Amino acid sequence: MAPTKDTMFRSADMCLTQLYIANEIGREVVSALGELGVMDFRDLNSETTAFQRTFTQEIRRLDNVERQLRYFHAQMDKAGIPMRSIHDFNNPFTSPSASEIDELADKSQSLENRISSLNESYETLKKREVELTEWRWVLREAGGFFDRARGQTEEIRHSLDEDDAPLLRDVEQSGHTEGADRSFSVMNIGFVAGVIPRDRIAAFERILWRTLRGNLYMNQSEIPEPIINPETNEEISKNVFIIFAHGKEIIAKIRKISESLGADLYSVDENSELRRDQIREVNTRLSDLASVLRNTKYTLDAELTAIGRSLAAWMVIIKKEKGTYQTLNKFSYDHQRKTLIAEAWAPTNYLGVIKSTLRDVNDRAGLSVPTIVNQIKTTKTPPTFFKTNRFTLGFQSIIDAYGTMKYREVNPALPAIVTFPFFFAVMFGDFGHGVIIFLASLAMIYYERKLQRSKLDELFSMIFYGRYIIFMMGIYSMYTGLLYCDAFSKELPIFKSMWTWNDNGKGPTASRVDGYTYPFGMDWRWHDTDNDLLFSNSYKMKLSILLGWCHMTFSLGWSLVNARYFATPIDIWGNFVPGMIYFQSIFGYLSFSIVYKWCVDWAAIGRQPPSLLNMMIYMFLQPGTLEDPENPLYKGQAQVQVVLLLTALICVPILLFLKPFYLRWEHNKARALGYRGIGESTGVSALDDDDDEGQTLNNGRESFGNDEDGIAMITQDIHGEEHEEFDFGEIMIHQVIHTIEFCLEGVSHTASYLRLWALSLAHQRLSIVLWDMTMRIGFGFTGISGAIIMVIIFFVWFMLTVFVLCIMEGTSAMLHSLRLHWVEAMSKHFMGDGVPFEPFSFKILLEEDPVE
Amino acid sequence: MANGWAPFIGLIIVAVFCAGAWFGSPKGENQTVWRSTLMLSAVAMYLMWVITFLAQLNPIIAPIRYDIRPEDEIPR
Repeated sequence: MAPTKDTMFRSADMCLTQLYIANEIGREVVSALGELGVMDFRDLNSETTAFQRTFTQEIRRLDNVERQLRYFHAQMDKAGIPMRSIHDFNNPFTSPSASEIDELADKSQSLENRISSLNESYETLKKREVELTEWRWVLREAGGFFDRARGQTEEIRHSLDEDDAPLLRDVEQSGHTEGADRSFSVMNIGFVAGVIPRDRIAAFERILWRTLRGNLYMNQSEIPEPIINPETNEEISKNVFIIFAHGKEIIAKIRKISESLGADLYSVDENSELRRDQIREVNTRLSDLASVLRNTKYTLDAELTAIGRSLAAWMVIIKKEKGTYQTLNKFSYDHQRKTLIAEAWAPTNYLGVIKSTLRDVNDRAGLSVPTIVNQIKTTKTPPTFFKTNRFTLGFQSIIDAYGTMKYREVNPALPAIVTFPFFFAVMFGDFGHGVIIFLASLAMIYYERKLQRSKLDELFSMIFYGRYIIFMMGIYSMYTGLLYCDAFSKELPIFKSMWTWNDNGKGPTASRVDGYTYPFGMDWRWHDTDNDLLFSNSYKMKLSILLGWCHMTFSLGWSLVNARYFATPIDIWGNFVPGMIYFQSIFGYLSFSIVYKWCVDWAAIGRQPPSLLNMMIYMFLQPGTLEDPENPLYKGQAQVQVVLLLTALICVPILLFLKPFYLRWEHNKARALGYRGIGESTGVSALDDDDDEGQTLNNGRESFGNDEDGIAMITQDIHGEEHEEFDFGEIMIHQVIHTIEFCLEGVSHTASYLRLWALSLAHQRLSIVLWDMTMRIGFGFTGISGAIIMVIIFFVWFMLTVFVLCIMEGTSAMLHSLRLHWVEAMSKHFMGDGVPFEPFSFKILLEEDPVE
Repeated sequence: MANGWAPFIGLIIVAVFCAGAWFGSPKGENQTVWRSTLMLSAVAMYLMWVITFLAQLNPIIAPIRYDIRPEDEIPR
């Protein structure tokens, strides 16, 4: 079987392959296939949980390494050390050997220990530093309190033993130095000094006041600079407080309260000399600590920088390794023969590459047992796979966003490469705006590589993803802009106009240059005329209908191609032919009438052209009569219309009944001959059935002999898909829905294409309004100020042109074009019940979860 | 002037272009994309042009513009 070349027209030809891999090289094989990225491995252990699988141990180990690497990354983020970008590595991260992975795991383990111990000591030191700083503040501030309090010692004392105090004692003692020397302890006044967060100070005061019934003297002051908490790295502003109170119990109570409120208490000596010594000591300790801290930090940073140089590469390696083992877990493991058995979907065209890769791996490992690749025949639906490139990727994802195509059906993305941007351009038609988006897309394509590497924000990355779509849009927009004769809403007088103004160029009416039609696009004379909308609306409306008709006929044609490819003639005779006749006899006729009406020189034959809208209405409501029987579009119009209408009507029952009844007839015929569906089989059990099938289909399986395990493994894959039972009612309902949809859609979809007209009208009008509101005003000024105003106005105009007309209007035109493809076109032929191809590929793995 | 023949001349040009695109597309795995894109582009562009051309072949209305006449000459 020589596979045909895979093109974008149909999804790639797939085959289910079975691999027998020696256990020793399982990892190497899978990682080589991951680099290749063309195999979609099936899970052969879907019944076993994640914990029961063969390689769970390895995955756990790699998870741990991954966690360590993430820890390094977090530490680097915290320290502000940049990681060397993944793009700066030259080597393409070829899959490492198992021993290298072990080495990496050990390395990251020891590095983690080192980093965390460094971190720990750094944190302890930092905590110590904070404590010392706080203590210094307390000492400094408390000193102030003491000095102030000392002056009041006497008052305090007096108030304490007021009873026997002589009145004059006060006067006597004031000014005495002796009083100042009296310590608080002598007076049995204790004190508590410490630091508390500022937001708690109010609560703290209140609680103290209430519990001690006001028997305290509290002083506090704010620490001007915030204290950094080393654990959370948050800044907290704190207050120093000192509380004087009487009695040991009260002091103990105060201590307890302050500790419970999160205050840190520090010992302060009341003697100012000692206090000074304390401060000095704290300062020296602080400076020692600072140098130690600096050293620790330096070592930590050096360590992290060293890690940062290769962290990205390690992350990639570990990710790949993990992906490899996760894939290996999908394999079935034959314990007796020490072989791994894998099943995977792969494009037939890649089988050669796959085989040679496997051979390479085998040779490298020096293993005598080759890896066996088998192709299995199966009734399962193969996954849908398209090989895309930079250019086609965007278009393919537009279609894939709607639904996954059926395996081997016609790919609507191929024509959409042209039709999608073209319909966009019909709505966006303006030469100037087309040039802008074209240049923008060119720039994105030119700087492709650079932009791909840099981190883009969400919106721009979306635009960048669609750069080739925008490129095509730009080309077609320039073309349609030329046809519409619009450049930033101004006309483009390329050729001689077909109109000359009457009355020596003064108008207001114009007459046609005899026998001359403007050769390319709209005549520029229509610009700024008083009746240009009358003309351009009629033109654009008809343009939309005609383009819509072409697009729908084209799309309907793909259903014929599909029916022929899948060899279902009933779809041709029951769906395509009646559908096409129905569609053409109404909407084809409308399109024909539009073109015919244009081609007749009504002025020359001296007749009034009939209105096409009324013609269609009369065709349906009063078949056989015309709006104006004296003035037909052509001779015999009434009769032709009756015939067409009847043809269309006849097609409806054919569309409705032919396919379901044919299928029923076919089914009954098959049953009459004695065929039964697999599900209804009598006697023979389903398992036996499959078993036989398996033996005959695949020679490779014979190597299993009667191994129970092996047979069970293979058979489970085949009886996954059951033949659907024939249900006439269901088919009939399906067909009724299809018929109703198709007949009504003919009308609604044709009307839907009028959005081409509406959006292009809106776009043109908006750009005219923008020009009139900005540039035209700008041209009104003269002189220097006029020049300056012009620059400003031009800037405003240009910005609005880019953001409103190009980006906003462009987005809306794109969405409308998208709808025309998804709904109007794809409903005509798209089946879309496929399974997406999800290959095991390191490239995809890293794209989904990028290392940055 | 063979005005009415222009669409047919255009059709021949497009047909020739399509034939050229079919045979001249670069060989390789992207040949289908090249062929389809070039041919469909040609057809789509031709359609749009021919529709625009036909719409003006026998125009029923002519442009009217009042603001080209000098102010004092506007007939009241």
